[in-house]
Amino acid sequence: MKKAIIFALFIGILFCLTGPGYSADVKKGIHVGNAGAFTGDAAAPCMEIFNSAQIAVDEWNAKGGIQGVKIEHVMGDDAMDPAQGVNVAHKFVSDDLMYGVVGPPMSHIAQATLKIYGAADLATITTAASKPELTEQGYKHFFRVNARNDAHGWNCALFMKKNLNAKRVAVLNEKVAYCENMAKETIAGLKKLGITDIMQDTIVGGAKDYSAVLTKVKAYKPDVLFFIATTAPDQAIGVRQTKELGINTIFFGTEGARDKKDFIAAAEGAAEGAYVYHFAPDIYAISAADSYVKKFEGTYGTLSGFGPPSYEAMNILLTAIDQAAQDGDITRKEVVENLHKINNYKGILGFPITFDEKGDLEGGATYFFQVSGNDFKQITVMTGK
Amino acid sequence: MEIYLQQLPQQLINGLTLGGVYALIAIGYSMVYGILGMLNFAHGEVYMIGGFAGWWVLHLLTRNNEVLISAALVISLMIIIAMAVSALVGVVAERFAYRPLRNAPRMNLLLSALGVSIFLQNLVLTYQGAKVRFFHIGALIPEGLRVIHIGPAVFSFMRALVIAVTFLLMGLLSVMIKRTKVGKAMRATAQDLEAASFMGVDVNRIIVLVFLIGSALGGAAGALVGLLFTQVDYYVGFQAGLKGFTAAVLGGIGNIYGAMLGGILLGLAEALAVTFLPSAYKDVVAFVILIVVLIVRPWGLVGEKMPEKV
Repeated sequence: MKKAIIFALFIGILFCLTGPGYSADVKKGIHVGNAGAFTGDAAAPCMEIFNSAQIAVDEWNAKGGIQGVKIEHVMGDDAMDPAQGVNVAHKFVSDDLMYGVVGPPMSHIAQATLKIYGAADLATITTAASKPELTEQGYKHFFRVNARNDAHGWNCALFMKKNLNAKRVAVLNEKVAYCENMAKETIAGLKKLGITDIMQDTIVGGAKDYSAVLTKVKAYKPDVLFFIATTAPDQAIGVRQTKELGINTIFFGTEGARDKKDFIAAAEGAAEGAYVYHFAPDIYAISAADSYVKKFEGTYGTLSGFGPPSYEAMNILLTAIDQAAQDGDITRKEVVENLHKINNYKGILGFPITFDEKGDLEGGATYFFQVSGNDFKQITVMTGK
Repeated sequence: MEIYLQQLPQQLINGLTLGGVYALIAIGYSMVYGILGMLNFAHGEVYMIGGFAGWWVLHLLTRNNEVLISAALVISLMIIIAMAVSALVGVVAERFAYRPLRNAPRMNLLLSALGVSIFLQNLVLTYQGAKVRFFHIGALIPEGLRVIHIGPAVFSFMRALVIAVTFLLMGLLSVMIKRTKVGKAMRATAQDLEAASFMGVDVNRIIVLVFLIGSALGGAAGALVGLLFTQVDYYVGFQAGLKGFTAAVLGGIGNIYGAMLGGILLGLAEALAVTFLPSAYKDVVAFVILIVVLIVRPWGLVGEKMPEKV
């Protein structure tokens, strides 16, 4: 009997020490996950995310891995479907050697899997999900290296005031969640900056004709037209019809417009001088990123904006795992705690990364570009100031 | 108030171009309904295929942003080939999906039309993909000719072209129906299919002709919209079909003059609604007008009040 009680106590103490998470000897192996839509319509940007993270993993392994153990990078394909995203999350959570995940890049999948990763204390770092609510639900394990919509909205308002000298602004937004949210945050920001001459109206994505609502914009005579639509083709029609109607205003488009073929080329010259914002920097302008860019382009082809944040996220994750592994074993909780301690991490994104207690980027960055010829030229970066 | 007045000329131009396109689509619905009493739900897809046909012509005749032959010829070829391809699609659909069901209940025809619509949409999706195709019209019109300023309004060359071609095609159709023997046969068939066939009218030929003309006009609309708004994708037919159908009902379905009037009114109503209300109400206004017209004049603006058939 006595023996049994001691045994039970021993088991109990052991359980308390390790917590609900897993603790394992580093030597057993180290897995890191990558969750995203690797098949389907978003396969191209998501594969760029995976391949960029792979470059980071390869670099770590070339240096001897973590405590001499090679890191294994595991792909989890959600095909843009929240149900499959949940399956991926369960698969990653039940892998005892999994210490962190890069992704999911889409807000609706991130939302669907938040609880599963959270319950297992498995750290996730998204590189693109920008819905503000994701970090407002009290979870400790969720991080992002991209700015939130509200940070983008505030930064866009700052950019319009400081760089574009706006006094009178027209905001047109597509009637979908991301665009409505962006319009709301930007207008709130403009008002805070003392710009109150604002008109707002809506467009329907894919309608191909915005001339009626743009005629209304013309009568309002704004300094800046902030055109918030999801896809580049819609933005191309917006900028083309703005020019055609002879509206004397600065055209300012959103992330989706940073597309040379579907925006600049499609607008046939009408986009010249237009501005767009994006969550990722012009990676070619950052010297610290040279080696990454060379490796990526040498192996996988051309790079868009989605790769660099993923390379950064994987490096940050591996740094946190490396610190956790110093004492010979790792727990998932340790990894999460170390991520919260990341302070002024200087990688390839051109600004130092620190996470706040919610897991958001401190002073979330928004990059601004201007169309010049057949390309985008980075004008500035705003970090909330 | 001044801010509204200032917009009016431009909104009238916007509404008239859009309305012209709606009218061309509506005619196809109306002609088929007039003769067979069926709603050809695949008509929006016929329009979309016209848009793709126009894109291919432009694409094949353009190298490095330069057209290989004269721009006027390219535009004419785009419209003509779009009309031909759409006409072919319409006629084939009639032969294989509608004719076998001619004596079946109307519901079967309607379902068959829906099937054709889904089939065509997916066919294009399979062969062209979901990507948007861009009409690079820069090569077609010299910079100086692109826009004409009329007071506060701007009239682009493409809008003028769309309006001109629309009215030309509608005029030709009117003359054909009123003045020619075939037109007379079409009117007779629309009035009473059986009686017309007793009088020696080859109704099968007339029905094929109706599909041919209606689809060709839809195809022309597809190519014109491509030139005007510069984009086409596999999904544009749905919205356009809905608007064309609404225009046809508004004017009085079965009556081609009603379709023309209904289309233009619908386009104008949408543009003017945006002037005075948030643009989210654009479709609300369009459909409220439709409902009011249907309550007050169930047979449409121009349509005739038909005695109930026993």
